[in-house]
Amino acid sequence: MTIHAVWVINKAGGLVFSRTYSDTLPTQTLNATLILAGTLHGIHAITSRLNPITGKGGLESFEGENWGGKIWMSLTGIKLVVLHSIAHQGLDELMKKIYEIYSDAVMKNPFQTLEMPINSSLFESRLLGLIQSVN
Amino acid sequence: MTIYSLYIYDRHCDCVYYQDWHRTSPIRPPPFTNFRPGVHRIPSPPSITTKESIFNTKRLSALEDVERVGNRELKGLPFDEESKLVYGVILSLRNMVKKLSGRDEAFTSYRTAQYKLHLYETLTGYRFVLLSDPNVDSLRFVLKQIYTGPFLDYVVRNPLVIMDSREEGIDNDLFRSAVDRHMRNLSMFS
Repeated sequence: MTIHAVWVINKAGGLVFSRTYSDTLPTQTLNATLILAGTLHGIHAITSRLNPITGKGGLESFEGENWGGKIWMSLTGIKLVVLHSIAHQGLDELMKKIYEIYSDAVMKNPFQTLEMPINSSLFESRLLGLIQSVN
Repeated sequence: MTIYSLYIYDRHCDCVYYQDWHRTSPIRPPPFTNFRPGVHRIPSPPSITTKESIFNTKRLSALEDVERVGNRELKGLPFDEESKLVYGVILSLRNMVKKLSGRDEAFTSYRTAQYKLHLYETLTGYRFVLLSDPNVDSLRFVLKQIYTGPFLDYVVRNPLVIMDSREEGIDNDLFRSAVDRHMRNLSMFS
């Protein structure tokens, strides 16, 4: 499994963190990534309305021919997005670990303002360590 | 493991065919102004069958009553809006996958906790969309089978079906029963 990128989207649909970890996907400008993150937020809301059976829940993953994306939403409404290669195992555990790092390094940081872009070297280095152990 | 519904869109982005199987969420027929024949067979809302005398002063209020009752009983999105939402979602996800890949990569499926959507695009611009249980593997082969089997036999080779008409869908009895048979023969259909 290769992790191509990790995004964090706040509950209003704004991108607060994005890093790429492989060069399989071409690099995007920050503006393009912001737009894509906003689109994903909207799609998440629409997909839960298209439910053919009763129950709730929006988009959880999507797939192209060679890579896919996984979206995990916390109870507080932030979304973690991981873009990964198609052969994937243990992605759920990985998302949990990313959330753990997020809550440790970002939410417990007294200088972090909620809903604002994440500029934390601790978060970045711990995330890099995690992704490198997977890739 | 089950199949919920099938949508077929043409190259003009119009829904030309709809069929559902184990769907439990309600759907409303589209309003008369947006009705396109030959797309779906959702029963139309109860209408006033007995024509009342124009001298009846209670006529108007009776009409309102029927409308109110009808609206209360029919829940869910109207079909036309729902089909547009489905198309919108696959279009935006397709563009997103394309943009992120930087090349012409096809978007194949997405999954939520309740259902999985599969997309198969033909070279002629038809888009086959299937909603199924979230735990199944890719069902694009089923959509391809429907395209190469019933669709070619009963739609493309059917002189009575007007392709690309923009006025009506492609629904006909033979196609509908062939698709139904095909789906019911699948192992994941139960």
